[in-house]
Amino acid sequence: MENKQQQEERLLEEVTSSEYKYGFTTNIESDTIPKGLSEDVVRLISKKKNEPDWMLEYRLKAYNVWLTMEEPDWANISYKKPNYQDIIYYAAPKTKPVLNSLDELDPEMKKTFDKLGISIDEQKRLANVAVDVVMDSVSVATTFKETLKEKGIIFCSISDAIKDYPDLVKKYLGTVVPNRDNFFSALNSAVFSDGSFCYIPKGVKCPMELSTYFRINESGTGQFERTLLIADEGSQVSYLEGCTAPMRDENQLHAAVVELIALDNADIKYSTVQNWYPGDKNGNGGVFNFVTKRGVCHNNAKISWTQVETGSAVTWKYPSCILKGDNSIGEFFSVAVTNNRQQADTGTKMIHLGKNTKSTIIAKGISAGKSDGNYRGLVKIVKGASNSRNFSQCDSLLMGDKCGSHTFPYIEVNNDSSQVEHEATTSKIGEDQLFYCNQRGIGTEEAIALIVNGYCKDVLNQLPMEFAVEAQKLLEISLEGSVG
Amino acid sequence: MTLIDNLKQYAETSHLSKESQELFGEFISKGFPTIKDEEWKYTSLKKIISESYTLHYSANKNTFKDFEKYFLGFKNKIVFLDGKLVSSSNIKGVTISDYTSFKNLSNHSSLDFLNASLSKNGFTISVDENIQIEEPIEILFLNTTENIFSQYRNCISIGKNSNVKFIEQNKNVSDLNSLSNNFTQINCAENSNVEFNKIQNDTARSKLIDTLNVYQKSDSVCTVNTVIFGGLFIRNNLNFEQNGQNAESNMNGITLLTKNQFVDNHTFVDHKNANCRSNELYKGIYLDKSKGVFNGKIMVRKDSQKIDAFQANNSLLLNNDASINSKPQLEIYADDVKCSHGCTIGQLDSESLFYLRSRGVSLEEAKGLLTFAFASEAIQNISIAELRSLVQKTMSNKLNVDIEL
Repeated sequence: MENKQQQEERLLEEVTSSEYKYGFTTNIESDTIPKGLSEDVVRLISKKKNEPDWMLEYRLKAYNVWLTMEEPDWANISYKKPNYQDIIYYAAPKTKPVLNSLDELDPEMKKTFDKLGISIDEQKRLANVAVDVVMDSVSVATTFKETLKEKGIIFCSISDAIKDYPDLVKKYLGTVVPNRDNFFSALNSAVFSDGSFCYIPKGVKCPMELSTYFRINESGTGQFERTLLIADEGSQVSYLEGCTAPMRDENQLHAAVVELIALDNADIKYSTVQNWYPGDKNGNGGVFNFVTKRGVCHNNAKISWTQVETGSAVTWKYPSCILKGDNSIGEFFSVAVTNNRQQADTGTKMIHLGKNTKSTIIAKGISAGKSDGNYRGLVKIVKGASNSRNFSQCDSLLMGDKCGSHTFPYIEVNNDSSQVEHEATTSKIGEDQLFYCNQRGIGTEEAIALIVNGYCKDVLNQLPMEFAVEAQKLLEISLEGSVG
Repeated sequence: MTLIDNLKQYAETSHLSKESQELFGEFISKGFPTIKDEEWKYTSLKKIISESYTLHYSANKNTFKDFEKYFLGFKNKIVFLDGKLVSSSNIKGVTISDYTSFKNLSNHSSLDFLNASLSKNGFTISVDENIQIEEPIEILFLNTTENIFSQYRNCISIGKNSNVKFIEQNKNVSDLNSLSNNFTQINCAENSNVEFNKIQNDTARSKLIDTLNVYQKSDSVCTVNTVIFGGLFIRNNLNFEQNGQNAESNMNGITLLTKNQFVDNHTFVDHKNANCRSNELYKGIYLDKSKGVFNGKIMVRKDSQKIDAFQANNSLLLNNDASINSKPQLEIYADDVKCSHGCTIGQLDSESLFYLRSRGVSLEEAKGLLTFAFASEAIQNISIAELRSLVQKTMSNKLNVDIEL
C-alpha cells in the first residue's frame, strides 16, 4: 500500500498532468493582417472595420500615448515581456456571416460552440441567456437581439455600435478608462478589434442575463476586446463573460478593457469566469491576461464584480469601482485559483468619492503546485466621502509547499466619519477537517472539493445560476487531487 | 544649502576611511528615498532634506546633571549628550562602550548607507550569558544643538539565557530643529529574552528616522514596544529576522498624534525558520491634522512551516483633517502556517458614547475613556509598570482629560 506521501505525490502528478479541456483549434479560415504594430496597422484595423473618422482619431491618439508609455513592472509577477511587434493585431473569421438565424452560422464555428459547451440554440431555448460570441476579437454571433430591442435594450458588438449608435459610444467610450490610464489600456484603445456594447434604457430591468463569450483561435494573435456597458437611470442588468483559448506553446496576449457606467439608481452585476489556457505544467505557453476593468457609480447606483479566475499563465487584473455618486455601492467577489506555474496578481480598487458610499471586498485565493497568487487592493476614502464604509476580507488557501500566496492591501483614509475594516488570513486545509470527512466515509479528494467549495461559497453564491455550476466544476478540475 | 550639500561638504572635510568613502559613495548614487520608492510611497522627505543642517555639535558646558528632569528614574542609565557618552552605570555582566565599529548593512537602503558611512557616535552593549536584570536599562540621547543632523549607530548583543529590558528616548533640551537618522542592531542569542521600549516624545520641531534591526537565534523572545507621542516627523523601521527555530517576535505600537504631526511605522518580520511566532499590535489615535502611515510586512520563507503570525493595526481617526494610510502585507511561501492580519480604521462608537453620557459622564471625559480603552490593549503589553503609568499619564495630558486609572 502506498503511504500518504506517495499518495499525495501521485495525486499532485495527476492534477498537473490533467489536460486543458478547451485546448482545440478550429479550422476556420481567418483574415489576418501582418505581424507588428505601427500607425499604418492602426489605420488598417480602422479601415477594415469601416469606422468613422472620429474613431480612427481616437485610436491614433491612443497609439501615440502608448508609444510614450512603459510596460508596468510593479506587480509581483515575472514573465518574459511580449514583443509587441511579433503579435498579429487583427484576426477575424474570414466570411463574417450576417446572421438572422443561427442556421446560417458556419458549421465549423457551430461545432466550436458545441465543443465549448455553449450550444447557442439550446441556450436560446432553455437558458434564456442572450450571448454575444467574440472569436479572435471579432464578434461573430449575437443572439436575442430582437427580443432585447423590444425593451429598448441595445446589445451588439462594439463595431456595430460605433456605426449605429455613435452618439452613445462617443459620449461614454474612454470616460472610465482613459487612454493614458495604463500601458495596456492605451494599447487596447489603439488596436481593439471588437467587443460588446450594451445600453439599458431608463428604468428598464433587463429580462435576461446578457453574456459574452471570448475565444482566441488564431495562432500568434493578441486579443484586444473592448466592452462598454451603460445602465441608464434606474435600470438593472446582469452581465456574464467567459473565455477560452487553444493550447499553444507560445504566450498569447489578451489585453481587454471593460468600462461600466451605472447612472443614478442603476444596478450592474458583472460576472466573469476566466478560463484562458494556463500553459502546461512547466509553464510553457498560456495566455497573458492583462485586463483593465473599471466601473463608475453615480448616485444610489451599484456595481458588483464577481470573478472566478482559474486560467491564464499570468493574470494582471483589478476590476474597480469609482463610487462617485452619494449612497453608491461597490462590490467585489473573487475566487482566484493558481496551479502549476500560474501567476496571478489580482484584486480591486474602491475609490470612495461620494457621501455614504459602501464597498465590500471578498477575495479568496487558492494556490497549488508551484504557482503564486497575489491579492492587491486599494481602498481610498477621500475627505469629502463622509460616512463611507468598507469591509474587506481576503483569505488564501495554500495547497502544497511550493506555492506562494501574498497580500498587498493599500488603505487610505482621509475622513473621520468613515469606517474601514480589513482582514486577511492564510492557511491550508486542516488535517482535522480532512480527518473529519474521511471518518465519515468521504474520500480525501472529495473532501477537498467539499472544503474548497465551502471556502469559496461566499463568492460562488454571487454568481448567476448557470455560471455557478460551471465555476464549481472548474474549481474541481483545477484543484483535483492537490492534497495539501 | 540643502542637507545633501551639508553631507558632501562634511565628507570632503573629514578624513573618512576608504570603507566609509565607499559607503558614502553608495549613498550619493542612491540619493534620499522619494515617494516613487514603494517603501516611501506615503512619506515624503522632500521638505525635510531641503533644509540646511549642521553636522557638528556645538560646545556646551552642561553636565548631564543639568538634565536630570529627563530621566525616568531608573537606576541603570546610559546617557549621551550631544553625541558624547557622559554617563553609564555599572551593571553586573554588562559591558558598555561608546565605540561602534560594525559596518554590516541590513537592508542596503540609502539611509542605511548614510548611517554606516558618516555616523561617529553610538554605543555597544554586550550582555554576558545567563544574566537576569530586573531593573530596565534607560538609554537617553540628549541634544542641545540647533539644526543638528545626528546619526547614532548602536549595537546590543544579548548572551544566551539572559534577560534584559531597555527604554530608549531621544530628547531635544529645548524647542530645537533637529533631524536624526539612527540605527540600532540587537542580536539575541539562544533562549534570551529582550524587551526594548522606545518612547518617542520629543519637541515640536524634531524629526527622527529610526531603524531597529533584531536578529534572533532559536528559542529567543524579543518584544519591541514603540510609544509615539511626537516630534514633527517620525519614521520607524522595525525589522525582525528569525535565524533559529522556536523564536518569538512581538511588536506593540501606541501612537497618539495631534496638530500636524506625522508618523510612519514600517515593520517587517522575516520568518526564516520553522516553528516560530510573531505578534504585532499597533494602535493609532490621530487628532487634528496629524497623519499616520502603517506598513506591516510578514514574510514566511519556503520551508518555514508551523509559523503563527498575527498582525493587527487599529486606528482611530478623530478629526476630518487627519488621515491614515495602511498597508498590511503578507508574503507566504510555506503552506503549513497560520497567518492573519486585520486592519480597522474608524471612530469612537456613538452608542458607547451615548451609554457613558446617559450615566452622567461628560462628552470630553467619555471620549477620553473610550480612547484610553482603545489603546489599553497595547499598553498592557509593556511589562514595566512605571512605564505603563508614564504612558497613561502622557496620554491623558495630550488628550486633555483627567483620568485616574
